[in-house]
Amino acid sequence: MPNIAVFIEQSGGTAKKVAWQMTAEARRLVDRAGGEVWAVVLGDGAAAAEAGRHGAHRVFIAGDGDFATYNSETWTRALAAFVAARRPDLLLVGATAMGKDFAPRLAARLDAACVSDCVGLDFDGGFKLRRPIFAGKCFADVAVDAPVAVAGVRPNAFPLFAGGGADAPAESFDPGLGGFTPHATIVETLTSAEKKIELTEAEVIVSGGRGLKEAANYKLIETLAATMGAAAGASRAIVDAGWVPHSHQVGQTGKTVSPKLYVAVGISGAIQHLAGMSSSKCIVAINKDPNAPIFKTADYGIAADLFEVVPALDEAIRALD
Amino acid sequence: MKIAVCVKQVPDSETRITLAAPGPELDRSGFTRVLNPYDAFAVEEAVRIKERLGADCEITAVTIGSDRAVETLKKDCLAVGCDRAIRVNEPALENAEPLQTAKVLAAVLRRGGYDLILTGKQAIDDDSAQVGPMLAELLDCAQATVVTKLELGDGTFTATCEIEGGAALVRGSLPAVVTCQKGLNEPRLPSLPNIMKAGMKPQETLTCADLGLEIPAARSRVTTYTPPPPRAACRMVADDDPAAAARELVRLLRDEAKVI
Repeated sequence: MPNIAVFIEQSGGTAKKVAWQMTAEARRLVDRAGGEVWAVVLGDGAAAAEAGRHGAHRVFIAGDGDFATYNSETWTRALAAFVAARRPDLLLVGATAMGKDFAPRLAARLDAACVSDCVGLDFDGGFKLRRPIFAGKCFADVAVDAPVAVAGVRPNAFPLFAGGGADAPAESFDPGLGGFTPHATIVETLTSAEKKIELTEAEVIVSGGRGLKEAANYKLIETLAATMGAAAGASRAIVDAGWVPHSHQVGQTGKTVSPKLYVAVGISGAIQHLAGMSSSKCIVAINKDPNAPIFKTADYGIAADLFEVVPALDEAIRALD
Repeated sequence: MKIAVCVKQVPDSETRITLAAPGPELDRSGFTRVLNPYDAFAVEEAVRIKERLGADCEITAVTIGSDRAVETLKKDCLAVGCDRAIRVNEPALENAEPLQTAKVLAAVLRRGGYDLILTGKQAIDDDSAQVGPMLAELLDCAQATVVTKLELGDGTFTATCEIEGGAALVRGSLPAVVTCQKGLNEPRLPSLPNIMKAGMKPQETLTCADLGLEIPAARSRVTTYTPPPPRAACRMVADDDPAAAARELVRLLRDEAKVI
């Protein structure tokens, strides 16, 4: 009977959505396979009170230690101490900037199996984890051959828990940090002036490509994205051309995304771009060229001038409210 | 200063994966192989540091790979400014999992006493993004991941790391492992004369036995490769009036796809 620990990443006192998506999926799995779901919290335990509602059976909160600012080495040590003390069979970590930073380090410390960016979770006597490779051109099912595995879980891969969980009892654990000084620390966090929705966490993404013709026209994408409550993405072509920063790039050398809705505007559909977004639930393509490869991946298409369609689309969506 | 750059040869991003049905193997025979694009930023950053520091800096490119990887070491590492190359040639490590790779690389790096270890933020084949942080743990040193700016001080570093909605400034002591993100620099292309001369630079080929290392055991294995689910044919929304087409699209997204 597998016990699954879930790391609860917090940002400004609240848990990241992916944390509760993981407790939910872990709960669905242990309800079939037996075992328990353990929420693991470092620092301020505010999120812990919610864990039961999201499917966790128990909550473990690190006792002593300074967890005010994220640190890869501190997090690695604390969670390694937790795994050593409680011996979960699997530790789930959200595939966020933080999770990707420390999960491999933790796995190396534990000499554990480490599987990144999972989108499927199963157990048949051993864990089977499904993950995209080649930016989603293919999926790999990975079997764990170690007593413990650390698995990264992609945001939005799993729905939240609907089972109405009970309160989960909380207890503290010793993170084993006495006298430890990390080799490096975060000395400052810089947030962009505008509050933008992160591509990898967005439910809706509007992306622009070469069809926009020039950098200034990217504002069409930003406007439509704002109207739709979406994140703004970009093709590699316009990132390489310097129109938008790389943080907007979707594709094999950018971000791999799987939102509910992906709107590709003026993007022809190069294979490296398709790799990064083809797992989106619904894809809309707007492109002048009816033969553009993007239409082979899209669910809905408009083959027309984006400069006419995008403002009209913006207006039609505003009219919904 | 001694810099190591850990690189991997990967299939080009335009590669198509042909997989008709789920199966235990992936046909990798027809792939065009290139330097992992993120590793190119690591190589370029090392060369720029050397250009600033002058002769008092040596760059070693390290890879694990078959004879096929020699070309990448020569053309994309030595020809653009790395001083020497070390390749671990171990057929059992073909398609190794990241922890196996990290253990072997750590054994190579321990021999060299490097101040700075640069690598890409992830390889674009298995997309694991694990080797960098694993190396930092195995070598018990600092790490900074997904770095878009790197400054070196006297035995220290400051790195700008990409995080959700912004950046984190990480400061620490060397040695450090830094994983490189697009935006850090613009990698240069090798010139033909430099490619010719690259063959003269020292290149070492090792096995795990040479490193006094047993081939590390895998902790997981891929049982099945599955193609992505096929997508239904695209429904074209056609109307001479763009406004009418847009309204019809919104209706479909709301009533049929139920995504808005």
